[in-house]
Parts: sequence; C-alpha cells; structure tokens
Amino acid sequence: MAVVSKSLDKEQDMPSRRVFSWLASMGLFGSAALAAVSDWLFFKPRVTYGPSARFAIGKPDDFPPGTRISRDVERVCIVREGNRLAAISTTCTHLGCIVGISDTGFSCPCHGSRYDQDGTVTGGPAPKPLPWFKVTLAPNGEIEVDKNAQVDPGTYFNV
Amino acid sequence: MTTDTEDRKAEAGVWGALRQLPANVWSSVFRNPLPSTDLERASTSFTNFFLHIHPVKVHKNTLRPAYTLGLGLISLFLFLILIVTGVLLMFYYVPSTTQAYDRMLDLRGTVAFGIFLRNMHRWSAHAMVGVVFLHMCRVFLTGAYKKPREFNWVIGVVLLLATLFLSFTGYLLPWDQLAFWAITVGTSIAGYAPLVGKQMQFVLLGDTTVGQEALLRFYVLHVAVLPAVLVLLIAIHFWRIRKDGGLSRPEPSAPPAKPVVKVRMELQKKIYGLQGFVRGPFTKVGNVPDDSVYSWPNLLMAELFVFVLTVSVILVVSLAFSAPLEQPVNVMHPPNPAKAPWYFLGLQEMVSYSAFWGGIGIPTVFALLLLLAPYIDRNPKGVGRWFARERLLANTIFLTLAVLNVIFIIIGTFFRGPNWTFVSPF
Repeated sequence: MAVVSKSLDKEQDMPSRRVFSWLASMGLFGSAALAAVSDWLFFKPRVTYGPSARFAIGKPDDFPPGTRISRDVERVCIVREGNRLAAISTTCTHLGCIVGISDTGFSCPCHGSRYDQDGTVTGGPAPKPLPWFKVTLAPNGEIEVDKNAQVDPGTYFNV
Repeated sequence: MTTDTEDRKAEAGVWGALRQLPANVWSSVFRNPLPSTDLERASTSFTNFFLHIHPVKVHKNTLRPAYTLGLGLISLFLFLILIVTGVLLMFYYVPSTTQAYDRMLDLRGTVAFGIFLRNMHRWSAHAMVGVVFLHMCRVFLTGAYKKPREFNWVIGVVLLLATLFLSFTGYLLPWDQLAFWAITVGTSIAGYAPLVGKQMQFVLLGDTTVGQEALLRFYVLHVAVLPAVLVLLIAIHFWRIRKDGGLSRPEPSAPPAKPVVKVRMELQKKIYGLQGFVRGPFTKVGNVPDDSVYSWPNLLMAELFVFVLTVSVILVVSLAFSAPLEQPVNVMHPPNPAKAPWYFLGLQEMVSYSAFWGGIGIPTVFALLLLLAPYIDRNPKGVGRWFARERLLANTIFLTLAVLNVIFIIIGTFFRGPNWTFVSPF
C-alpha cells in the first residue's frame, strides 16, 4: 500500500509540473512574439519628415487651357483641358523613377515604361497605370492636390 | 618542452632582473619559442590565441592553390580591409542629406589619405562581392557542400546575401546621383514582395521616398548591424570548417592505417585534461593521414602569401583608380539610364521584363535553390575534385545559372542605354 500511495503522490505531482513547464514555454514564446511585434512597431515610423502629401500648387491661371505641366518637386503632372483640371502622378509605378512628358504621354527613363496621356500603360514593365490624385480649390483660390486621395482616371475638377 | 628561460638560473638582485627583462617579457607573451620540432609546432598552433583557430595539422590537399584558389581567405582579408578603412572613414562621415556629399568632397580634397581610403573601401567592397561569388562557385564545382558540410554551405549562402546587402546599404552613403537612384530602384524592387512588400519598403526607408530617414537607416545597417551579423556568421563558418573535418578533399585511395599509440619516453610526467592530448606523453601515430602537414609553418605561410597578395592588389588598384563620385542628389532629375550597382544589374535587367518575377520571383527561387542545394543533391560521389564526372548534372545546372546571371549583368552594364533601350557598346 505504501508503494501505491507513493506512486499516486508522484502522479499528483505530474500535472502541476506539466502545467508549470507549459506556462514557462508559453511565456517564452509569448515574450519572443511580443518582442517581434514591438521591434516592428519601433522600426515603423509614426511620423515622417518628408514633404506633405497635401499641398497647394498655384492658381488655376498658372495653368492655361491645354497645358500639361510636370512638377518634379511634387512629382505630379497638372493637366488642364478647357475648364477641367486633373493631377496625374509622375512617379513610375514600376520602380519609382520620375516619368517625363513625351509626345504620346509619359515615358520613364529608368526601364523604359511608357504611358499614354491619361497614364494608362502602353509599353514597358510598368504593372499599373499612373494614379490620379484628388484636386480641389483652396479658399485662397489655389489648386490643392491631395496625394493621399486617389481618384479614378478621367475624373476632372471643374474650375 | 624546455625553454631557454626555464633553464637559465635566475640571477639575484635588481640588476639581474633588469638584465633579463626583455627575455622575461618576451617569454611571458609568447609561451613557445620559435618551433623547431614537430611537438613545438603543434604546441604553437594550440596555445596561441590567434593561431588556435587552425588545426595542428592540415591535409596537403587543403594547401593546394589549384584546389581552393585561396578564394575564402581572400574574402576574409577583403572584409578585414573593409573594416579598417570603414572605421577610418567613419571619423569624417556624417549621415545627413545636407552634409554627406560635402564630406565626400572633403575626403577627396582635404583629408590626408582620404581619397585613398575611400578608393580602398570602394574597390575592396566590389572585389569582395565578386570573390565571395567565385568562392561559392569553387565550393559547388568541387562538390564541397556534401555531407557533413551541408550546413556550412547554408551559412555561406547567407554570407553571400549579407555581403550583397552590406554593399547595397553602403551604396547610398555618398548621397550622389548614382547612390540615390540606385537605392530608389533597389528598394522599389523590395516593394514588389507579396503582402508585406510595401510595409517592408516603408520600414527600410523610414519614409515613403528615399530621404534623410533612409540615409540614417542605411548608415546604421551598414556600419553596425550588418558587420556584426557578418562577423558572427564568419566565426560560425570557420568553426564549422574545423568541426566538419577540415576542407573537403578526395577520398583516400587506401584505408587509413590503424592508430598506434606510443608513449613518448622523454615526457613521462602526467598532464591531464584536453591539453594533455596535445602536450601529454602520448603521441598518436597513424591515426592522421600521412599526407598531412603541420599548420606551422605550411598553412601560415600560405595565408601570409594570400594576405600580402590581396593587400597589394587593393593598394595598387586604389592608387591607380579613383572611386567614382557623381553629381549631388537631384531628386528631380534621374540620370538616364538609372543603373543599380553592377552586381544588381542582372536583377535590374530581369526587372525590365517583369518587376515581380525579375525582382522577387526568380531571385527568391535562386536563393532557395542555393540554400537547399546540399539537401537536394544527396549524391555522395565526386567530392574534392574540380568538375568531377559523377557530378556532371549538378555542375551543369549550377554553371548554366551562374553564367546566365553573369550574362544578364553584362547586358545590363554594357548594352543598356537611355530609357533602357538596347545599345551596342562597340
């Protein structure tokens, strides 16, 4: 009987030991996962110091009807057709070079991507058309472009 | 083992201590005299901190220049040159978009030997990428990645990738046109990775475009994080060479003789512990192949030769050619064509066909194939010989892929003009 009770004692010990080792390993994995998440949060900046994505670009009169003016600082091309305004991105959707204005639309100097006047891909490795950005008129009468807000290609703003 | 100092009777008094000062200091630093017997040669390799990474004896095949071509050693020595010149350059460099380029001009114009150090750093970096690649080719073509050396091959592949990344991060630091657009193109390729691509690109750059944050991040990666990773991996790489039984070599034609243990009569005092095997009264005869030689001086002389050769070539090249420095960064005007560093031009050439497959898909498949090569190719034959007939298939596949990569690099370097159109360099 003594032997039996001893082994019973042992078996009663086992669950708590198992629970402890389970808790310990879960704690270890948990802290590793927590460390990975906090590392990621640390390295992903909450504020950036680059230029603002929303900016004023000039009066509508600066862009007479029929012009296509590429603004390389803001990386945007202002298109005016009659009284309609649009802003097309000039950042190549392939690898981020600045596309230049060509006879048929846009062309990229880095890998030879070509786009038509509306930014639709006509050749080269670019996977996506050039995005169009939302254009509004600020209260002071200047054109405001918001690069955080994309609009469907062909969406114009009437001035 | 007896030394002169042990035999010499200590002279009494201060005068005697002074007379023996140089000898005492010398013998306290170098515990072994210059070896003249095999036992002393073994002891020298074993007791010196800088030499104990070597085995006491090495196989003759290890020392055949035609077998290793010294490529692993050259990689190491180039890395050492890069650490020394890199630390010196750090004294004058500032990772700031407004100052970095001016500091480059200062290095060229005012800092004593500045231009020379920069040349050495740049040419060593280019050379290291090439030599590490050739080292990998050597190891594959001699079948040296076979069991038990599979894991060391894997570490070697990771070292190659780390070398490329280290070189890539250094590329941005001069903050000239070449740097800016090469990194813009390179990090955009990372953005094509599925699901996490855009996030990865954002975290790598610390912003949506290449700017001050990217410069700072690349700087820290280049001077602290990646060198530390490389040093650790190189240490494991070397350690595994020893633990995996030294460099690969052809199987011996005759089975090794049975070990015979003989007692050295001149050394009867007992020494216990690991060192006893080296210093103790027993010498093992016959358990090492007869065609092995002592590391001191055979291996050391070979290493010294490769070191002097490597440093000389880098010095001569750095005196003759200056590292390029283009115009300061102008984010409005990409150079046409905008080209990545030469070792990524094969990648860029592929990217010009398809960004995802050229920049992510095919390179990932290549890297996985390389990493898994020793686990896919389990054929144990043909180890230790160049282009062994038993390895015809594996060698053919490897050489085809390697030559394809080189061809793509050549096309991207010499045959691509403005708008990435095909031009003839002739």
